Amino acid sequence: MASSRKWIAPVAIIAIIVLIVIFWFVGQRNALVTLEEQVDAEWSEIDNQLQRRSDLIPNLVATVQGFASQEREVFSDIADARARLAGARSVSETAESYTELQGALSRLLVVVENYPQLRSNENFIRLQDELAGTENRIAVARGRYNDAVRDFNTKIRLFPTSIAANSMGMEQREYFEIPESAREVPRVNFD
Amino acid sequence: MTLSRARLARRGALLLAVLLSAGSLWAQTLPRARGFVNDFANVIPSDDERRMEAIISAVRDQTGAEIAVVTVESISPYPTIEDYGIALADEWQVGSEANDDGVILIVTMQEREVRIEVGYGLEGAIPDGKAGAILDDYVLPSLRQGDYGTGLTNGVAVLAQEIADEYGVTLTNVEVPSPAAETGSGSSGLGNLFYLFFLLIFLGGRWFLWPLLFVGRRGFFGGGFGSSGHRSSGFGGGGGSFGGFGGGGFGGGGASRGF
Repeated sequence: MASSRKWIAPVAIIAIIVLIVIFWFVGQRNALVTLEEQVDAEWSEIDNQLQRRSDLIPNLVATVQGFASQEREVFSDIADARARLAGARSVSETAESYTELQGALSRLLVVVENYPQLRSNENFIRLQDELAGTENRIAVARGRYNDAVRDFNTKIRLFPTSIAANSMGMEQREYFEIPESAREVPRVNFD
Repeated sequence: MTLSRARLARRGALLLAVLLSAGSLWAQTLPRARGFVNDFANVIPSDDERRMEAIISAVRDQTGAEIAVVTVESISPYPTIEDYGIALADEWQVGSEANDDGVILIVTMQEREVRIEVGYGLEGAIPDGKAGAILDDYVLPSLRQGDYGTGLTNGVAVLAQEIADEYGVTLTNVEVPSPAAETGSGSSGLGNLFYLFFLLIFLGGRWFLWPLLFVGRRGFFGGGFGSSGHRSSGFGGGGGSFGGFGGGGFGGGGASRGF
């Protein structure tokens, strides 16, 4: 009798510990899935805004061409960069072609400075506002995406959550990084 | 055991440092909302302030949307008015939570810049091009003459009208000035076509085109509406009787101008 009672207590304790570990493990897995979903959601907003910007560009180019048709080089640069962005697959590829398109657009806006008539053209001003707004949305979405990636990457590397992350085969996600020079939103000076 | 605990402590400290440097240092420099009109730079006459408060109250009562007016001496340490605008928008959460229908009109004195920050829910009613046109036609002429009260009141009146049109209501119990565009360009038929075009792109980007991009990628419907998950929990209603804004989300839409 006495020996069987001694036997129950350790087993109960072990069972409780096992249960706690299981609950902890499930909780960690769910938290990780939520964080990873957040990363995907923020990425889709970047993608959405990149697409929106790509849709704006042909109209911007058409408007500028109406005033400055001889500036062929910059138009073809933009078309090339836009095509590459559309074909980008990974986060780093997207960031790279984003930077390239940004550079081509900046050159276009430098060209525009030489055409006062174009700068005062109402449709051009609206297009420029839409482009600047979209750039700003991309910047905001980029910041939120990188925050989500940082949360996720930190969580999956920290012990003991890293055990749960390894068991799910979760890997670190890529930051959307662009060079400092591309962070400036291209702007036309209307003054 | 002691080794892993030391490693854990070190990583924890690193994480804390990253988190601190990432957001909270900046967030502390943002002012708390005192009402719909927050004249921190003291440039708006009290008549205009009352008029704007009345217009915005009517808008909120009849549509649920909110407009915040902010004047600050400087946006420092934020590098641009766009950075300041989205940080303030995330902190104040202007607009209703259900519709994300907030607008913030920000003036910064040192940098001499003005910005209209548009919440997610009003990006269709006030596309960036229209926000820029509102600044050009109604706000900038007065700001350039140093008449901040008139410029901002005109801006609020036009924004209120746009919001009322969007919700299909007529603002009652309030006198909304109907300022005339001062450049004379106004909105021509062509201009309207342009807005329609932007609206189509906007909707197209969001509803028709972008899901196509996700074929073969993770998270087909991963979200992208963005209004959740990045809201700071700390929210100051400020002093007095102001009960705070409704919880609206922003994504960086709007337009900025120097004056």
